[in-house]
Amino acid sequence: MKSKRQIRFAFFAAAVACATVAVGQKVARKAPTAEDWTALAKLPDFTGVWEAGLGGGGGGRAGGRGAPPAAAPAAANGPAAATAGRAGGRGAGRAGGPSLTPAYAAKAKEQPAAPSAEENLTANCLPPGMPGIMGQPYPMEFLMTPGQVTIVIEAYNQIRHIYTDGRPLPEDPDPTFYGTSVGHWEGDTLVAETVGFAQVPRGITFPYSDKMKIVERFHLTAPDTMSIETTIVDPEALTAPYSMGARSLIRHRNWTIAEYICEENNRNSVDENGKAKVNLANPNASAR
Amino acid sequence: MKRNLKETAWRIIIGASLLAGGTSLAVAHHSYSAFDMAETRTVTGTIKKFDWTNPHTWIWIDVVNDKGVTETWGIEGMSPNYLARRGWNRKTLNPGDKISVTLHPLKTGENGGTWVDAKRPSGESLMMGGAITDP
Repeated sequence: MKSKRQIRFAFFAAAVACATVAVGQKVARKAPTAEDWTALAKLPDFTGVWEAGLGGGGGGRAGGRGAPPAAAPAAANGPAAATAGRAGGRGAGRAGGPSLTPAYAAKAKEQPAAPSAEENLTANCLPPGMPGIMGQPYPMEFLMTPGQVTIVIEAYNQIRHIYTDGRPLPEDPDPTFYGTSVGHWEGDTLVAETVGFAQVPRGITFPYSDKMKIVERFHLTAPDTMSIETTIVDPEALTAPYSMGARSLIRHRNWTIAEYICEENNRNSVDENGKAKVNLANPNASAR
Repeated sequence: MKRNLKETAWRIIIGASLLAGGTSLAVAHHSYSAFDMAETRTVTGTIKKFDWTNPHTWIWIDVVNDKGVTETWGIEGMSPNYLARRGWNRKTLNPGDKISVTLHPLKTGENGGTWVDAKRPSGESLMMGGAITDP
């Protein structure tokens, strides 16, 4: 028979534990069993290295969002065309733009042209947040372990973790570049929901709130073809979910992810006025 | 005038992309606004150094100018990640190799630019944006 005091303490401890989960995102995970590993084999196999087609580690086809060099006649064989390539594959169903609420439409008018700001910071080696990081002109490797899908992104050496162990989305996450991702399976489709976004360059050209959620649906459309359908939900900024459409990735069974240390020999930069610069000083700076 | 036209083109492109959608996934490492993408020129010389590095390779070439003075040119190329999937490796270019590189020059007038293509004296063409050779 527990005393009232003990019961009260138990409640207090439980409340502290819940608060820890909600704020610190510390979800205790049970050690995977042999059955957990076996169960993985029943899921669609996403493992391996994927790229967005038409390029692979660099795009290869001018187009995409239309960086200026795409229009330059001689760019077809140069780095310009390649990096401007259609990193995200073909966007389907992008009819119309996002429908902003009046308050966010007003914000959009005040906001400076986003694309230049986006490029500024990647030139300084700052990776873009979600969803931009999923559309880089470099491949991504998917790993599947019990309770988690991990995406290793070659561009800027980045990693995303999608927790599929049944945990809820965090209620008050720290805002970050990639947010916190929780996934579940709907048949053969992995549905990942991501929340908790800092106001950093992320390839979204409209203003968004801290209530923004990005929903991605991953599924195989052929043995080595994956479709990723991305939708942005934001009850404060958008009057309706905004579909970015579906993109197609191709699996390369013999590829590995290469190292990409942007700071290794970055001679590009953009200054505080948005002016792009190239530093030619000291050719011997790089050792390889 | 040329620059104004380019800026106008830029704005049209940005405007079109905003109309098409509120996201822009394909953001390259940097814009090419530091380079004069409407201009090309060819420099011929000797490879001094080949940086097989991220986020870009750099090709350093010693070029003798019309006054007989050797100048070092710095030319930005694609990343090793990109090039390695297109048949390149860190030994594709070596110090001492003779080469003619066509480039878009820096707007500053410094001896640098971004690689368009190149030829060896043998006539062998060196492209960076070719098809994937490692399927």
